[in-house]
Amino acid sequence: MRPGGRSARIQVLVAEQAARRGGRAGVLDVCTAAVAALPVGGAGLSAMSRTAASHPLCSTDDISEQLEELQLTLGEGPCVDAFLDGSAVLTPDLLTGQLQDRWAVFADAALEAGARAVFALPLQVGAISPGVLDLYADVPTVLDPEQLADALAFADLATLLLLDARIDGTGGPAPADRGFEDLDGYRAEIDQATGILTVQLGIGIDEAFVRLRAHAYMQGRRLADVAADVVAHRLRFSPHAEPDRADEGT
Amino acid sequence: MNQQLLAKTFVELADNLVADFDLIDFLRLLTDRCVGVLGADAAGVLLADRDGELRVMAASDEQVRLLELFQLQNDEGPCLECFRSGSPVIVPDLTREAERWPRFVTTAHRSGFTAVQALPMRLRDEVVGALNLFRAAPGPFDPAGTLVAQALADVATISLLQQRSSHRSTILNEQLQTALNSRVLIEQAKGKLAERLGIDMERAFTTLRGYARAHNRRLSDVARAFVDDSEPLPGLGT
Repeated sequence: MRPGGRSARIQVLVAEQAARRGGRAGVLDVCTAAVAALPVGGAGLSAMSRTAASHPLCSTDDISEQLEELQLTLGEGPCVDAFLDGSAVLTPDLLTGQLQDRWAVFADAALEAGARAVFALPLQVGAISPGVLDLYADVPTVLDPEQLADALAFADLATLLLLDARIDGTGGPAPADRGFEDLDGYRAEIDQATGILTVQLGIGIDEAFVRLRAHAYMQGRRLADVAADVVAHRLRFSPHAEPDRADEGT
Repeated sequence: MNQQLLAKTFVELADNLVADFDLIDFLRLLTDRCVGVLGADAAGVLLADRDGELRVMAASDEQVRLLELFQLQNDEGPCLECFRSGSPVIVPDLTREAERWPRFVTTAHRSGFTAVQALPMRLRDEVVGALNLFRAAPGPFDPAGTLVAQALADVATISLLQQRSSHRSTILNEQLQTALNSRVLIEQAKGKLAERLGIDMERAFTTLRGYARAHNRRLSDVARAFVDDSEPLPGLGT
């Protein structure tokens, strides 16, 4: 029933890029791997915020770099829309008439920079939304369902890497050194447990997600199982102590 | 089936489809009406993610046990069969299907359900999910009721296209992704509110929804503001 492990496959591609580069897996490796795997010419990633300034984080070529700068400077474009709407914005052809109205200045500037198709994928896990992954092609391009699913998987991985780079999971090796996470298979409890941890630890949702995953890794347990324990109140987190398992003998 | 109630239901759903639309809120309304109009004891809307895994988008009750019952059908069960075949799966007596779906039948029985229907959510050539109805009493389903259930499943499908981004593109896949992410947001908010107030998940959900309605705001906006702490929400979770 498991669909062949798309997330695992994507993690391998990104890890290979990191190995080629000779460093720990990071968001740049996600961009590079995405360009190799998809019919696109380049990729860029920006950190986005509703309250603080947004800024570009990385890009694979000059055109991507220009696109990131343009969108943030102009405050318009698929990247901005994707972030604000929480929805992927897929533009197979920037020359399409109606888009000229929507992003009048951006569309012309992007075309001039050499981009023809642009795909903006929000990095998001519910309320956690640290940025956007942008892909471009220099010819009109449509992503088929498999390619779109892969692009979304790259965005998901970028989300985790971005969060882990910013936030200390308190304990254990840096997340990029941990090896593969079991990201295939969704459980609602994971999101509920994340919400619960914001209260138990008095922290924001981004950090709660990092801490939950870090705990699962350190305990050698599946994230879904840890989450189920949290939701069932078998496992409680508190700010100044190790997480407490209610059924452990003393 | 109460004809007047049925008519009222479709009017209500149509109203909610066009005005100030919130997907999760709408689907919860739809599942509530399945219980009220079709005589189901529980209902859920499941959507397939990009890897074909069925995920709960809304249910007539957010109790963890019920959601688990929907969720486990990723391995076996009427919902999975319905999704794969694209055809309705109608089971008047679950006790007869113990060999077909051993784990599902046991879990359903523990929750007091003995009859199930699963109706496909289809859009053009694709099956995107299913409407799942549970009943406590075994016995045949009213054919007229099944027709209405399929119509409600179709309404649920259409509602996916009503999300905020629908002006940009009608390609389904991005909208599925957006829908699934909306649900993640609700789950995060549920967890936070349940923990803060010491209440269960169903109450957490209805509290969020009640607050949104009382303040004339979208459920998803309230959920996000609550999780982010980005604005004061007096009376919610304090």
